[in-house]
Amino acid sequence: MASRRPVGVDGPLFKQALLGSLNWLAANHEEVNRLNVFPVPDGDTGTNMLLTLQSAVEDIKESNAAEVSKIAKLASHGSLMGARGNSGVILSQIFRGFARAVEGKSSLTPRELAAAFEEAANAAYRAVNKPTEGTILTVAREAGRAATTAAGDVEASVPGVIAAAAAGARAAVLKTPSQLQILRDAGVVDAGGFGLQLIIEGMLKTVEESESFHIDTAATKPRAAQVAMDLPEGGWGYCTEFLIEGNGLDVDLIRGEIEALGNSVLVVGEPELVKVHVHTDDPTSVITLAGGFGKLLKLNVGDMSTQHKRILDSESAAGRPPRANGVGLVAVVAGSGLVDIFRGLGVDAIVEGGQTMNPSTQDMLNAVDGVPYDEVVLLPNNGNVILAASQVRGLTKKKVHVIETHSVPQGVAAVVAFRPERNGDDNAAAMKAEAARVQTIEVTHAVRDTRSNGLKVKKGDVIGLINDKLEFAGTDYAEVVNKALGKLGPDSFELVTVYRGQGASDDELANLESAIRSNFPGLEVEIQQGGQQHYPFILSVE
Amino acid sequence: MTGTRPFAVVTDSTADLPDEWRTRYGIEVVPLKVIFGNETFRDRVDITDEQFFRRLSTATKLPTTSAPSPGEFADVYRRLARDHDGCISIHLGAQLSATVQAAQIGAQAVDGFRVQVIDSETVTMPIAFLCKVAAESESLEAARAAVEERVPKCRVLALLDTLRYLEMGGRLSRAQAMIGTMLDVKPLLLVADREIKPVERVRTRSRAITRMVEFLRGELPVEHVAVMHAQAPEEAETIAAGLRRELPGQEIVIGEIGCVLGTHTGPRALGAVYIKK
Repeated sequence: MASRRPVGVDGPLFKQALLGSLNWLAANHEEVNRLNVFPVPDGDTGTNMLLTLQSAVEDIKESNAAEVSKIAKLASHGSLMGARGNSGVILSQIFRGFARAVEGKSSLTPRELAAAFEEAANAAYRAVNKPTEGTILTVAREAGRAATTAAGDVEASVPGVIAAAAAGARAAVLKTPSQLQILRDAGVVDAGGFGLQLIIEGMLKTVEESESFHIDTAATKPRAAQVAMDLPEGGWGYCTEFLIEGNGLDVDLIRGEIEALGNSVLVVGEPELVKVHVHTDDPTSVITLAGGFGKLLKLNVGDMSTQHKRILDSESAAGRPPRANGVGLVAVVAGSGLVDIFRGLGVDAIVEGGQTMNPSTQDMLNAVDGVPYDEVVLLPNNGNVILAASQVRGLTKKKVHVIETHSVPQGVAAVVAFRPERNGDDNAAAMKAEAARVQTIEVTHAVRDTRSNGLKVKKGDVIGLINDKLEFAGTDYAEVVNKALGKLGPDSFELVTVYRGQGASDDELANLESAIRSNFPGLEVEIQQGGQQHYPFILSVE
Repeated sequence: MTGTRPFAVVTDSTADLPDEWRTRYGIEVVPLKVIFGNETFRDRVDITDEQFFRRLSTATKLPTTSAPSPGEFADVYRRLARDHDGCISIHLGAQLSATVQAAQIGAQAVDGFRVQVIDSETVTMPIAFLCKVAAESESLEAARAAVEERVPKCRVLALLDTLRYLEMGGRLSRAQAMIGTMLDVKPLLLVADREIKPVERVRTRSRAITRMVEFLRGELPVEHVAVMHAQAPEEAETIAAGLRRELPGQEIVIGEIGCVLGTHTGPRALGAVYIKK
């Protein structure tokens, strides 16, 4: 048995290990989703991590690289592009740290593997402004420490190191409620940490069995990879993507030749497998050229004007006079009414998404690159989207300002403060300041029983959050909103804007409006159709 | 004073000239007209500001406005020709109204009287300030020079409670105002360089007032400052107080927006007006 065990982690083994991770996470991600701290419909951590991991392994599936470094690099790139939600972004940073640690190595000894786990955790810590213990970060670090301890053993083996990492992760996950009050109150372990535990366990299963799992292609269907776009002046052209399989492929040479035929060129890979992405008006020439280097796989030519319909304003930025300051606006918004409001205020491109549907870094990158401006202000409008949005900065040639808007009202306040004749830096500062002035009340129903912030909440209760913090629970909307407005202190505010969601009836809206008017006669009340899901009412107080 | 000065000063009712200045400097004011249905009122002659805004708020159909006729200008010039060598006639911006044109045609009808018509390119009290500058000049030539030098420096920074009136009057589109059709966003509009352009958007009046004062800070140095309001004296006083803190020693006049301008601004409009140095 011991002789069959792998002695080092090379490319093929790491590839199999990651596919094993994907399989195991795919099988269990619903369990991760259920570990929701807040009793609100939320961006599902398990789904976000799964989608991020799918993106990480997408290109790996086609690669036969012998070196672990090459597989790690593909995983790092893929996860970065597909990162969704905060856990997804941190996972992408874990892959990035791992890839850096194994750079230039064809195979890892148990000790090198442990060091790479540790470096992966360090990279994740560095990526977060204020690292919080009791989260995926802690789990990554404890896994790395456990791996290092195991690697110090004279009989250390690769499966032994991974097994130690998995055990370290498991122990760390179980301890998360003791580190974070919100987990303790909710009676759950940290979802992101648990997701990482599953990923390492998936690796362990593969490595122990030393054979690949059957990958359920339906569950792991790769998303079409798209990479940074700088759009041609003349038109959208065709987004052309494929892999070249061959022997001794010269990546730099291929890049040089492709660059002559289009823009937004991305050519990455290894002598056996090169990934090509280009925007061109003449896909045929690109394909003919590339065909001369090797066999083409996964050829995908998309008409970008069609692709962009999904993300771009139907009235389109093209229909407007160009903005004097050359700064574009991109916002993450869900709900037909809210989309119209943001468009009406001058947002150039909308990325559909928000609370339960966190867009990926790639989705936001496409929108940023799709607007006809070299400088872009990006509004995530949700706490779970901010981290993924901030990754866009490193992936495009454009100058991107990410205004950390946690809610729709903050996003609206930021957009309202935008001035087309003011430069991007000054606009970003003004938008940030205005967003911070607005208070957000979100009203929804508890999705399960919980205790949070000292409140006992039963499934189905109406709950009110002020600036993302659960503050009140009750039986009807007006009651919860009254309490929330009372807590904010209505005397310091002038205007309440009510964004009505899909779940609110006409009667409920009328009741809420009259309750606010009679209890807070000094406040102006404006009703808007938001059309958002999950939150019958979102209120902006300013 | 009119007797001692060889030239007269003429303006129109949209200058929102304070009564006190009108008396002190002997400035002639030609009224524009406000038309409700088939009733025509001469601005501030047949209708007071208060009556007008009360009627505006209940009117089912918005009133329209019209410039004085060339004949009305000719009558005024003819009368002034009796005891003046000439006059300077300073009016509402030609980009907004036909008043300047009517004055020019009216002037041609009066032989032997020199009328210097000035397109102020602006609205409301900057015109009154220009009249004051003219009235304090030694000669018609000097008045013309002093006024023409200041025309490009006149600014009106306005907050409209709603854009409904301006839009219906065809003076500004929502796109120009940089506001969507959905949300109630209040633009701060700047009248400068013969244009009405939005310089800021806000959602609450108190924010707008803060922004107005901040905007003016960036416009210093200024001469002649006034705060205008359409039936919102308390908020005007708040702006004036803010401006006094920014501009110690500067006289801040509070003026009222009259009927014709009010037709386009609607009630509760606020403005800070000034001439840049």
